[in-house]
Amino acid sequence: MTAPHDGNGRKVSSLAEIPTSIEPGRDLWPNIEARLKESPAAAPVTTGAHAIPAHLRRARPPWLAAAAMVASVAVGVWIGRSLLPGVGRGVEGTAATTAPSGFAAATDATVLDAAYVSDPRYQRQRAALLRSLPARLAALPPPARAKVLASLAAIRKAKEDLESALGKDPSNALLQELLVDTYQDEMRVLTDVREASEPGRGI
Amino acid sequence: MAHAQAEDTRVEWEAALVQRARGGDTRAFERLYREHAGRVYGLCLRMTRDVQLAEDCTQDTFINAWRALPRFETRSSLGTWLHRIAVNVSLARRRRSSPVEPLPEETEEGLAEAWTLETPVEVREIETAIGDLPDGARDALVLHALYGYSHGEAAQMLGIAEGTCKAQLHRARKLLRERLGVEVN
Repeated sequence: MTAPHDGNGRKVSSLAEIPTSIEPGRDLWPNIEARLKESPAAAPVTTGAHAIPAHLRRARPPWLAAAAMVASVAVGVWIGRSLLPGVGRGVEGTAATTAPSGFAAATDATVLDAAYVSDPRYQRQRAALLRSLPARLAALPPPARAKVLASLAAIRKAKEDLESALGKDPSNALLQELLVDTYQDEMRVLTDVREASEPGRGI
Repeated sequence: MAHAQAEDTRVEWEAALVQRARGGDTRAFERLYREHAGRVYGLCLRMTRDVQLAEDCTQDTFINAWRALPRFETRSSLGTWLHRIAVNVSLARRRRSSPVEPLPEETEEGLAEAWTLETPVEVREIETAIGDLPDGARDALVLHALYGYSHGEAAQMLGIAEGTCKAQLHRARKLLRERLGVEVN
């Protein structure tokens, strides 16, 4: 055997003083990482109803799926807004151009830090928006309603996945940030619907 | 106090990395590897006495750990868990080439716990003497005297009776004494 501590001429008076750690002569991680990709995954936690192949699960943590969902929600929201009359684009007509800036105020209210999730004002505003949502949805054109419902379903799924992941790793800053983003997306959709269904907004 | 807090922080940090690795996060697993590779490799090298074999055993240890992460209890020590895997991997590799000779169980009571040397000796000289020990004696010595595992823990890791482990330690002490030319207490 090659002496593990080459050049170590230090004298010790107990075997417990001998360093237990010996760095390998080369970095072994690249080989290990390559083999991880070939080997079965470490059975990651699955949060969705859809089974994901093992080779994909390994490289795709569940919260990453949630993160992807948040991204898709952002697209969904954008599509939804583009379909909603009078929201997110120029609206012809006096009523639209003179519409109150409630939408801008509502979206500004979503640009807050993580504390806003438990803020009573936020909770009240969210509860009010959710109460009025069915009536407002009923007033929307079917394509816009379908987009909004799809966005809200994606947001709900993302929240469940992220909250589940945070239950296992509560201090994960990235997960916390993604959860706040998801709540913000939800609020954005709800306020969009409210603004779009207000009288004089062209619905 | 500060040391205990630092240790708590380290344990929490490690537990968080384990959770992330369980979710398939290879970056988190790499950080665990970086944290433990030295001690795992040191154990494998001392058990196999071969650099190439020790590298292979270290890699196998972490691959096996990755696969078994869902079964790891986060309340227990990740280091100890990895050492158990490393011992298993090293023994399996070694058994392919040379079976370990059995020893009668040690009946003598009160083996000294401290492995102190009558006069200081260079680390290099001790490592060479340890490397020259027979496999069974060296395994028991490395786990008990260097890594600090109890007789029972070392025996369990090696898959031998505690009495056999004590006998191997007794033998290791005697051989070290002869080879180093100093009293080993």
